[in-house]
Amino acid sequence: MNWKDNAVINAVKGAGYTLVLLLEALGHVTQFWRRRRAIFTQMHVIGTQSLPITCFFMLLIGMVFALQTGIEFARFGQTNLVGLVIVSAMVRELGPWMTAFVLIARVGSSMAAEIGSMKVAEEIDALEVMSINPSSFVVMPRVVGYALMGPALTVVGTLVGIAGGGIVANLQLGVAWADYLRFAERGAEPLDIYWGLLKSLVFSVSAAAVACSNGMRTSGGAVGVGRASRNTVVIALTLVVFFNYLLTSFYRMVKLFVAGVL
Amino acid sequence: MSAGSYEIAVSFTDVSKKLSGRQILDHLNFEVCKGETFVIIGYSGTGKSVTLRHMVGLMRPDEGSIRIEGDEITTMSRHELEIMRRRFGVLFQSGALIAWLTLFENVELPLLEHTKMSKKKRAEIVQQKLEIVNLWQDRDKYPAEISGGMKKRAGLARAIALDPDLVLYDEPSSGLDPVIANEIDKLINRLRDEHGMTQIVVTHDMDSAYTIANRIAMFHKGSMLQIGTPDEIQTSSIPEVQHFITGGKEGQVSRRSNTAIIRGMAPGMLSQRSAEAMDAKEAEEAEAAVATEEPQEGYVLLSEEEAAKSESPEPEPRSLEPEESHENP
Repeated sequence: MNWKDNAVINAVKGAGYTLVLLLEALGHVTQFWRRRRAIFTQMHVIGTQSLPITCFFMLLIGMVFALQTGIEFARFGQTNLVGLVIVSAMVRELGPWMTAFVLIARVGSSMAAEIGSMKVAEEIDALEVMSINPSSFVVMPRVVGYALMGPALTVVGTLVGIAGGGIVANLQLGVAWADYLRFAERGAEPLDIYWGLLKSLVFSVSAAAVACSNGMRTSGGAVGVGRASRNTVVIALTLVVFFNYLLTSFYRMVKLFVAGVL
Repeated sequence: MSAGSYEIAVSFTDVSKKLSGRQILDHLNFEVCKGETFVIIGYSGTGKSVTLRHMVGLMRPDEGSIRIEGDEITTMSRHELEIMRRRFGVLFQSGALIAWLTLFENVELPLLEHTKMSKKKRAEIVQQKLEIVNLWQDRDKYPAEISGGMKKRAGLARAIALDPDLVLYDEPSSGLDPVIANEIDKLINRLRDEHGMTQIVVTHDMDSAYTIANRIAMFHKGSMLQIGTPDEIQTSSIPEVQHFITGGKEGQVSRRSNTAIIRGMAPGMLSQRSAEAMDAKEAEEAEAAVATEEPQEGYVLLSEEEAAKSESPEPEPRSLEPEESHENP
């Protein structure tokens, strides 16, 4: 097999390209004001338009989570503690990555397809020829829009999830709202909230970079656009679970350090 | 870098380029003079579009020298290329308009990015350019809402927004009806005659080539087979050139203005048919279906018998051009 066709080498080249593209785009963040219209458009597409589906997902996830934990806690007569578990799980884990999953499915794939279509239709070449850097004109607004709206949606989604858990706890498990909220309050410390937001930021930036990179490397017409879209979903989801593990490990170390164990 | 005044606008010296192991450009040599319209013709897949991409620095040659008004561009940094490219206007095959901007905003884009003009001044220039291509009334439409011909005209308005010294056209008349194709030809002539722009046109449409060209260059296997005036090309004794310009048929394809009838078709019908058949995308689809087994083949010169049987204006080789990745993503 020709070394140029080697899958590992292609993956490394792709990762390198993605990283360089991301750094280039971040370098153009200084043009924020000049590109504000494009950024606001992206914020609307990524954030506002994704809000209903994100809320629906998180509401249902919160409800199911309350039911499942309710079953276990009932065995020990501790159903009141449901709020505590829901909040800690939502803030630290479910909020950031379920929002990331929803966004990758809804926004990441279409972002790659959009840029891929631009590439195939020579629009990216046209920008280059007009001396307009695509990293600034196309990539930066998308990365910035995603990086701002990902964490924002995570906050809203997490609150909706906690509310969903509360509804089930109150109506089906018979936990009083006061009890639910009392324990919910203990579920998350400020550090947990910051960490959840950090996770969301990392997921958002990596998903946006993967989507833009796959779009920019599209070749081969409609088939290529489909491939770019598919690769984006697969790679971005893989990165999210991978970064989630890394960040959770760091989180544990920080927690232990704060507690004086480390 | 100096933008000195040279009589030669573009020169290619011994330029070679290999892509996917295939020699696309093979010691290519030619010069384009200032103020002329230089038309490049040739079979698909012979490197015409690749040549245009080299000219604007979207691709770099493996060897050889490319000079734009005396400045060597093969060794330029990205930043230098960006400055150099401001002298260019490029009309891409599909128009390549930005989908989320209106026609007005598309034409305004180069002005917005590269000049410090006031909004009013920009609007004046955009109006002027859109009026040249007869699209001012459609200024608020998005590219998805207009026809292919309109996209191309809008692409041309954008290409000339900054009054470039050099305008490059990649198949300006492909996929257009003969009337619109004629309009584009007139526009190209007007830009040369009134604005003195140097223009390089890649085309398959021989009618168009005869109408607009000062000189025509026939590309063959990555280098120039013949360069000459339209008359010289029409009376060429080189078999490949004759085969191409007559579309593989006996007799010669007429100019649009002439009244010669070939195989019972009026000139208008002929140019419409050739415009349709030359549509690059259609050609590619046909090629993809037929030529997947031997993608590395160059064009196949048909024997006279085969050519006579063939209904197609040109034997279709596989075109590599649209799928090639460029080196400055």
